[in-house]
Amino acid sequence: MNSFITTDELLLIAPEISMVILATLVIILDLVIKNKSILNFVASFGLLVPIALSFNLLDGTSQFAFAGALRVDYFGVFFKIITLFATLITILISEKYSKKFDDYQGEYYALILISASGMMLLASSVEFITIYIALELSALPLAALITFIRIRSSAESGIKFMVLSALSSAILLYGMVLVYGFTGTTYIEDLSQIINRSLINSELTFGGGALLLGVILITCGFAFKISSAPFHMWAPDVYEGAPTPITAFLSVASKAAGFAVILRIVYSSFSNEQIGMDWSVLIATLSAISMTLGNLIAIQQTNIKRLFAYSTIAQAGYIMVGLAALSSLDGGQDNAGPAGILFYLFGYLLTNFAAFTVITLVSINTNSDSISSYSGLLKRSRLLTLIMTISMISLIGLPPSVGFMAKIYIFGSAMDTGLQWLAIFGVLNSVVSAFYYLKIVKIMLIDENENSEKIQLTTNMSLAGLSCVFGIVILGIFPGSIIEVAHRAVESII
Amino acid sequence: MISQGIASSLTVEISFWVISISTILSAIAVVQIKDLFRASLFLILTFLGVAGLFILLGAEFLAGIQLMIYVGAISVLIIFAILMTREIEISNQSHYMRILVSMVALGFMLLAISLITSTDWNLIDSRSFPQNQTDEIIATVQNSIPTLSKMLLTEYVLAFEMVGVLLLAAVLGALALVREKK
Amino acid sequence: MTIIHFQFLSAILFSLGLYGVLARRSAVLILMSIELMLNAVNINLIGFVAFRGFGQEIQTFGQVLIIFVITIAAAELALAIAIILRIYRNKNSVNVDEMNILKG
Repeated sequence: MNSFITTDELLLIAPEISMVILATLVIILDLVIKNKSILNFVASFGLLVPIALSFNLLDGTSQFAFAGALRVDYFGVFFKIITLFATLITILISEKYSKKFDDYQGEYYALILISASGMMLLASSVEFITIYIALELSALPLAALITFIRIRSSAESGIKFMVLSALSSAILLYGMVLVYGFTGTTYIEDLSQIINRSLINSELTFGGGALLLGVILITCGFAFKISSAPFHMWAPDVYEGAPTPITAFLSVASKAAGFAVILRIVYSSFSNEQIGMDWSVLIATLSAISMTLGNLIAIQQTNIKRLFAYSTIAQAGYIMVGLAALSSLDGGQDNAGPAGILFYLFGYLLTNFAAFTVITLVSINTNSDSISSYSGLLKRSRLLTLIMTISMISLIGLPPSVGFMAKIYIFGSAMDTGLQWLAIFGVLNSVVSAFYYLKIVKIMLIDENENSEKIQLTTNMSLAGLSCVFGIVILGIFPGSIIEVAHRAVESII
Repeated sequence: MISQGIASSLTVEISFWVISISTILSAIAVVQIKDLFRASLFLILTFLGVAGLFILLGAEFLAGIQLMIYVGAISVLIIFAILMTREIEISNQSHYMRILVSMVALGFMLLAISLITSTDWNLIDSRSFPQNQTDEIIATVQNSIPTLSKMLLTEYVLAFEMVGVLLLAAVLGALALVREKK
Repeated sequence: MTIIHFQFLSAILFSLGLYGVLARRSAVLILMSIELMLNAVNINLIGFVAFRGFGQEIQTFGQVLIIFVITIAAAELALAIAIILRIYRNKNSVNVDEMNILKG
């Protein structure tokens, strides 16, 4: 590989490049213009360029770029589009909120865009160095963004996130280096071949300890990123202190990016045929612990952001059901598990952002994140109550919402692969979760509040909220197209 | 696996043991000393030890980078932070979870060491490596600054550019956080 | 001086760093422990590069990774210290345990 960068390669990473260019543009505009509200407009409309470029890549071919470091395929582009939508909605709902950052709005939007570009690269990287750097590229700006509000709790959330993300990266890195040292490669596709060829005659499980240790450490590192048990404890504190739109971004986009890498690694290197180990028990246990822990603690919360942090831990547990189905030995025939993960993540994107549109608006209006400030929301804004109610229905997993379809699909995949107990566990957990989700609905609809001042929605806010709700309902009734897309995406990485 | 070449000489062997033991001792000091400022000085000693190991293995370029960035920049940053936050006297009290935590760390160390010892390092033989060029074990890093720089700008050009964007983001974030008002 | 020695050295340093991160309360000391862990990774890498008998391309990979790790560590630390300064401006202490606005 003696050439620097070819035009073809540039086209393959055009979405990421345009994100970085957009970020630079926003900073430059921030320097020259006085009216900062233009920044939101530029950032959100500018995002249409990377979105269009990503859809342009969605032609079903898989291409390698940069000496095999990136694999631009249907799967990667699917996650890019999820990240881009998440970024777009984050920017839309930041419109009023970002007034809090007065002089630093330009930096705020630029950092969101840079972090998103890291997540997009993460979705298509297939080589350890690139994965590590993309992970840092997405996490570092997030740490700064979490600290953006000039109050103490925000800064504490920031340092907590920073320390834990640095710790998890160090653990991940140690694992990656051990794998590199043992196998002599960092490309996750070569890895499977080398492991296959060399371990076939070995008496030692996994060919000895170093590789096993490496894989365990890599798993721990990623478990941090998707906030799954037992590495979930950072989520509530960080979510509570962060600016509300960033909490939403964190809970959806960075989780999706984490799952993208995990799926790639599990599929190409550590799938069960290659290692001959049944991972599903381990993953299923972690998944069950995640959902139970998340749901049980969420019930006691009085702060809506903390509640959503625990809810997001529980949701990570549901998504991991798909991972368990994938790694079970008799599974993986029709890819229902991984396709379910993709479908679930897409549904979760819509659902969580619908809820966070409301949370952002309420927190601007009442200056509080406590659940009691939602009382009497029906009188203050019918639209917000509608958005929040539909989002709660989808989070519980009741019809006719995308959450219902996604849960059916992902639990169904577990049933097919002999993990019936996990599916039943998931359904029971959904019932428990209904308790605290419906409590919010009850507070909104029934409880009285002396403050009955109407909440005004801006165009951006209502656009974000309504399009999410529209998506939730439409995909809840006609999920066929997105399931088909998810299957195509999964097939592209096999 | 007895190494050959320069590694076999006694001086190298002795300096390896001296450097590694002093590195470990200063690392223990970093995590044990109560005084922040002294701990940071021992951290510099650890960095120097790692640089010494790089030199010992013939990776002078990396040793240079280690000296410039870790000893030169990162240590200064840390000392700067200690001075700015004036926390030297406060120092850290003993933690009630110390024993539990040290058990966790010790457990990890024993696990790692036992797993590494049980590894059959010859299992994946050099024939399975792509672009294999060596038949024997060499105990030094090949002098490869030209290769290094070439690969940094060809095969790893994407990573290189990403690190550039990462540094931009770090500068942006740090500035936005630390400046009071524009 | 063999590959095993470097592995041991790296594992010991890494565990010391892990201990520091978990046991220390001062934010600056925690960051210093993370630097220890990253240095452990670098020792590990240079050990593999020197002793595993990799071809030149794969050897170079390890060195490239060391450069990237050092660079990213610097960026990470700079940002972390910016955040610590921010906390310090709000209240004159940077001990993690004293951050009692948020629960542990």
